[in-house]
Amino acid sequence: MTTTGDSDIPRREVLRRLALALTAAGAGAFNVEAARVVHTLAGEARAQPGGYAPAALDDHQFRTVTRLAELIMPADEGGGSAVDAGAPEFIDLLCSRNPDLLRIYADGLAWLDAATRSAHDRTFVDASEPQQREMLDGLVAAERGEPASPDAGAGVGFFNWIRMMTVDAYYTSPIGIADVGFRGNRVLAGYATPREAIEFVARKADELGL
Amino acid sequence: MASVQPRTEVHDVVVIGSGAGGATVAHVLTGLGIRVTLLEAGPMLDPLAEFKEHHWPYDYDHRGAEEGGRRYFGGGKPFGFFTTTSGGWELDGEPYTVADDTGDFWWFRSRIVGGRTNHYGRISLRFSDYDFNPRDRDGLGWNWPIDYADLAPYYDKAETFIGVVGSPEGIRSAPDGMFHEPPPPKAHELLIQRASRRMGIPCIPNRRAVITHSINGRPACHYCGQCGRGCVTGSNYSASQTQIFPALETGRLEVVDLAMARAITTDESGRVDGVVYIDKRSGQERQLRCRVLVLAASACESARLLLNSKTAEHPDGVANSSGVVGRYLMDTVGFDIGGTVPALEGLPRYNSDGAGGAHLYMPWWGWERQEALGFPRGYHIEIGGGYGMPGIGSFAGSARRAGYGTAIKEQARRDYGTRVSFAGRGEMIPNERSFCEIDPEVVDRFGIPVLRFHFHWSDHERRQALHMRETFHELIALMGGEPQAPGRRDASGISIGGSIIHEVGTVRMGGDPRTSALNGFCQAHDARNLFVCDAASFVGNPDKNPTLTINALAWRASEYLAEAMRSGEV
Repeated sequence: MTTTGDSDIPRREVLRRLALALTAAGAGAFNVEAARVVHTLAGEARAQPGGYAPAALDDHQFRTVTRLAELIMPADEGGGSAVDAGAPEFIDLLCSRNPDLLRIYADGLAWLDAATRSAHDRTFVDASEPQQREMLDGLVAAERGEPASPDAGAGVGFFNWIRMMTVDAYYTSPIGIADVGFRGNRVLAGYATPREAIEFVARKADELGL
Repeated sequence: MASVQPRTEVHDVVVIGSGAGGATVAHVLTGLGIRVTLLEAGPMLDPLAEFKEHHWPYDYDHRGAEEGGRRYFGGGKPFGFFTTTSGGWELDGEPYTVADDTGDFWWFRSRIVGGRTNHYGRISLRFSDYDFNPRDRDGLGWNWPIDYADLAPYYDKAETFIGVVGSPEGIRSAPDGMFHEPPPPKAHELLIQRASRRMGIPCIPNRRAVITHSINGRPACHYCGQCGRGCVTGSNYSASQTQIFPALETGRLEVVDLAMARAITTDESGRVDGVVYIDKRSGQERQLRCRVLVLAASACESARLLLNSKTAEHPDGVANSSGVVGRYLMDTVGFDIGGTVPALEGLPRYNSDGAGGAHLYMPWWGWERQEALGFPRGYHIEIGGGYGMPGIGSFAGSARRAGYGTAIKEQARRDYGTRVSFAGRGEMIPNERSFCEIDPEVVDRFGIPVLRFHFHWSDHERRQALHMRETFHELIALMGGEPQAPGRRDASGISIGGSIIHEVGTVRMGGDPRTSALNGFCQAHDARNLFVCDAASFVGNPDKNPTLTINALAWRASEYLAEAMRSGEV
């Protein structure tokens, strides 16, 4: 398939025209191939890498959020990291439009730095990876109410926020969607459940005695 | 007559509301050559601008969390950013109130051409023969003035026109219809079907208003599973795309959008002669005069309009000499529960989007042994599951279980597609304590008095919801799964009144003008040129989602009205 080169404007125009052609299609003239092209181009048009200037968080906060996102969802064989999926930008953008959310992050990051300082005498982002992991392990232990977990206070609530939003950013990105193996959002001429899926379920039902 | 110049134009038929009822009336009447003027409180629908079909979360910088992450704070659009709801549980400047005797009541209103049919679940179930005479069965509720045979030809017409997938099954609780070929079951549904068969519960192809072959210029479903977002190809039923837009092409339909009806007007003899509305663009009050008025503003809005139309001849509101307008408000009994089924771990990934919604459902199976069951009326079961498009919140549970790190990804890969859900949708019996009335103290931003709701489930419904709970727990247990906590509901486990968005019954039909407002053709006993063609006419609320019956009743009323206009009766 050919695309329209590097210029964003013709690409947008192609998208617009295809979208119009799709929705204007009456009388059974729905064009499956045109719909596929729209989906493909829409995906490409968005992936614009490059420097991001935080809109709400300061540089230190943004670096800390980026490091946290990397630790919460690192890259593995199934896909890139939450940073690759745009989690820091997602968090900063929403914070820039919601003072309540910005306060949650500002307060939470300040708590994390203070806690890391008192344990390791440096800010979270400047701590070593084992020290950073120790901090997060403590938060998870406190969240689970494990005995002998450190007094994490407000840290648990903040950790929940950044984990939730990091995970959301990942699974709403092309990387995360491919990771879990979502195969849909396509235009199909017919629907069929694959035979191997049917056989898998039949086997399980037999095992369960159903 | 001294003057032959009319003061204003007299419209033949004015319809208020463009949802399933109003659009069916507009479609049928314009098809019979009658001119229709339709008032809609919301704007004209533009599917291209409005619908988010096929969009990915990453097409938006907020990914579906909405502006400033509103979803994280309990806000945002009902049913998620991507649905085409155009309305909600609360509308700016248009409050309603809940009476002190009532725990809670929710009222969902859409303000858009097509109304709630743009996003609804599209489950299309015929009432059973026994649903029309429930009082004869068990002494509860009231009988309808019509029976299944009266409505069956109009179910046929409605299904043929709007298009419904399904299969002939010969089950009394779920009469067969005019069906498009249903899509085959999804993998998780086959497992659920095995469990349900073990319990003796039928699990059959779902019946939804989606077409699987092209009709009336509408292309067949393309299986993206996103009906709730609105379908740009019009391959499912929405009143806007299936009925209003084609009716506009006849040249006999005029749509007046952003028109909020305030009151019905009558002449010196008490005959309905028009409607007063607020033009939302200008804020001005306008009047339309008409020969026939059809209300289809939704059950509660239609009741509100009648109750707000007090005249010398109609001191309790137009069409309300019986006093039943607003009474016998019903919703559907809802009980929803999800479960995680480890047996589905490792199921090969595949595109399970399908035709939108489930491909199978369970019709009511216990109509012959209600007495033994300990509750008088039935329910059906809607099922969910599969590999849905990931979105905001999809893997929050996996993340919490895993802590942090690659463990989250591993957990999410295991969990994805293992969640199934069951939604019981049951019949509510009308009762004296559930009704809406005009709040004497509160008006909306147009100065129109608002509704105050009273709503109470009885033990009939509560026992039914308990049975749903037992049934779903057993289904999940048979599959080796773990049940999860159900969603929105009141303290006793049953859904909050109104939250299933099946409110019906507030301007009921009946054979006796002393105990009903409408006859069997949705025509007001007190005003022959007034019809109510939404779910307000319902005498009961069987476990069948109301939209298809709204379509059928409106179709029947429209043919009756056309003949009455031809003969000069109205």
